[in-house]
Amino acid sequence: MILVRSILFLCLILSTAVSAQDQHHGHHDMQMDSSGMVMNANRDLLPRGCQEISRDYHFSISAGIQFAAGSPGMIFGMSQHELKVEPCSRVTVTFTNADEVRHQWMVHGLPKYLYPTGMFHIEANAGATLTGTFIVPGDDRTYLIHCDMAQHMEKGMKGQLVVGAGSGNLWSVKDIGDPFYRDAYLPAYAWLLLVLAGLAGLAATLKFSPITPG
Amino acid sequence: MLSRYRLWLVLLVLAALAYPPQWYPLPLRLQLSQWFGASAYRGLPAGLESVREQAEVFCPQQNAGWREGQQIEGVTVLPAETCVADNPYAVAAFVRGTNNVSHNTLMQSGLTADAVVKGRDLDGDGDPDEIHIRLEVAELNGSSAESKTPVTQYALAPGITPGLWVFAPKLAGMATENFGSNVARPGLRLPSPALRVEQGDRVTITLENTHYMPHTLHLHGADHGFTTATGQGNDGVPFTSEVPVLPGRARSYELSPRHVGTMFYHCHVQPHVHVMMGLQGLFIVEENRPDNWLQTMNLGAGQVRAPSVAVREQYHREYDLHYLDLDKELGERIQQYNDPRLITKSMHRDYDVTDSTVDYFTLNGRSFPYTFRESLLVVEEDERIKLRVLNGGAKGIALHTHGHKFIVTAQDGADLPAANRAPRDVLWLATSQRAELALHTNNDGLYAYGPGIWPFHDHQYKGITNDGIGPGGNISAIVYAQYLDEEGWPQTQGVSWQSYFTEAYYRKQVPIWESYAPGLFSDPGVDWWLLLRLVALALATGMFVGLVVTSSRR
Repeated sequence: MILVRSILFLCLILSTAVSAQDQHHGHHDMQMDSSGMVMNANRDLLPRGCQEISRDYHFSISAGIQFAAGSPGMIFGMSQHELKVEPCSRVTVTFTNADEVRHQWMVHGLPKYLYPTGMFHIEANAGATLTGTFIVPGDDRTYLIHCDMAQHMEKGMKGQLVVGAGSGNLWSVKDIGDPFYRDAYLPAYAWLLLVLAGLAGLAATLKFSPITPG
Repeated sequence: MLSRYRLWLVLLVLAALAYPPQWYPLPLRLQLSQWFGASAYRGLPAGLESVREQAEVFCPQQNAGWREGQQIEGVTVLPAETCVADNPYAVAAFVRGTNNVSHNTLMQSGLTADAVVKGRDLDGDGDPDEIHIRLEVAELNGSSAESKTPVTQYALAPGITPGLWVFAPKLAGMATENFGSNVARPGLRLPSPALRVEQGDRVTITLENTHYMPHTLHLHGADHGFTTATGQGNDGVPFTSEVPVLPGRARSYELSPRHVGTMFYHCHVQPHVHVMMGLQGLFIVEENRPDNWLQTMNLGAGQVRAPSVAVREQYHREYDLHYLDLDKELGERIQQYNDPRLITKSMHRDYDVTDSTVDYFTLNGRSFPYTFRESLLVVEEDERIKLRVLNGGAKGIALHTHGHKFIVTAQDGADLPAANRAPRDVLWLATSQRAELALHTNNDGLYAYGPGIWPFHDHQYKGITNDGIGPGGNISAIVYAQYLDEEGWPQTQGVSWQSYFTEAYYRKQVPIWESYAPGLFSDPGVDWWLLLRLVALALATGMFVGLVVTSSRR
């Protein structure tokens, strides 16, 4: 079990190209005002291996508690949990925060020579709408999207950006990946059922077993 | 039939031989001793090698420049002589207002532009009187559907990471140090920040509920109306004042305090759970003075690096001391599930506070030995130091200072008359009580006994442990600056601290005196001879039962 878990976790790590040495170094390009901030926006610089911008995408994504309504066990939601784009495409995201508290829309694992710490980040204050653009690399990869406010990802704000064919789905993304550790939803009388089942098994064996006691 | 009797006999003999002689009935032992004398000597089992874990660095040297005294945005930020210090840019931004500082200072502070907004000077005395504070709610050491280790980690002491909730300043960007780390960023921590406002200020505190449960804000002891000007509830109490603030929602509380003193703020939703999870902080109302630019938040409490005019007039230094105890059986409930419905049921219906005990004891959000990194009272001789103390814990504390007697100048936010101001070395603080203390470091044999490293701690013995292992809990020290090294670590002259900075020690795996009496009190090895006898006895007993069962069947 531990091995399986390790392999799965490794896949998760690889799929988002996380480095444990990742540090907040280098220069962040940042626009910040009273509505929030856009960090590491990039409209022009091509990732290595890209000859040109293959396509332009524009996504309008909203976040807030209303987008979690109807999803049991989720508190914070996003209007869209998966973005699919072509390699080397330019992605513009207009992020609207419908709540009265801050929310973030962050992509992790982008190449660090273009995006310090590998991150593209929009942070929207209550009720604000911000737009930011970045260019994805040329290889097929799946990137993590989340809100990094404490517990917002865990309680619903997790998504994935699939470039090309992607590199496998992420865990715990609404409608895409099951929780890696799923809570146990059992009735209070589950123990009684288990005891009865055990006794039934024992009785059946004693009654029908081909081996008779010596 | 004969073979069966023979088997009984064999079993009986085997059992008699296996039975450890040291457990024979006393008369039999005495009789045997008379006949045969003492048994032959067998050496006691040798001591086991003790668990050795690499100790953490006592004094981590990150953000070393933060300790220095400096001028930022025209604000004098006093030096912090402890090993770990608050971010001086955040201090300056709290003094000027996050709306009044340069982009660079704001970036360095890590705060959002609206974290603490300061407006007009209403009384024309040179400082702003419109103060807008925003607080979010953050969960530390919480659960995740992807990992069994707590997320947004915050350790009280080595390896101790109970689930916590805090009111938090608005910090832009990620909640962790970086994407490769699970550790909460600086400033996102226990305790909730100490808040400071001036008497008569027009204060708005907006609770932005970024957490997944409902919360409110209650201003305990601070002068506030039952409703705001618009008639909205302002007392934070769900059953008398208002419906709690749901996740994703915000509410503004208003006050213009007429009375000065050291007060308290906390969540008032299911307080026996929410307040004890950490949703509580110091709330201080300072005297109205000209040019009184206050450090609106003191992150993690501790040293006030930009004290008020009134405090500077009478004291050389000021420290906020926030005591809080924690029940690990409560904190672990947010780590057992990820579904907020299951967490809510577990915390509010399964958990029974009337059956609870407290296990961890914090001072300014840390327990010993981490208290020595950031919650030392650094002093010099012939100084006066102001301490503002809050006991936010479930149990009372008997605050005791070594080497010093202090004077209690105020309690529960009201000054004590001069006749009541006797020097004391133990102060009892019940749950939610506050006191203002004056510590005098003139070496006169009454108020102080001279320079040194003088511990101060709760003299109730639970409080000086981490879940029963000492030293731990809220132990810190009054340290004279000459006893600090360059990095701010106190030059103690007692036992080695290597084991205190390991997780193994607080997991109860290290013999407590191992550092200076190696082997003397180590865990003993196993008496294999005794174990063998007991296994043989158990075998004989099993066979005996088997014989009884099979005999009854025939």
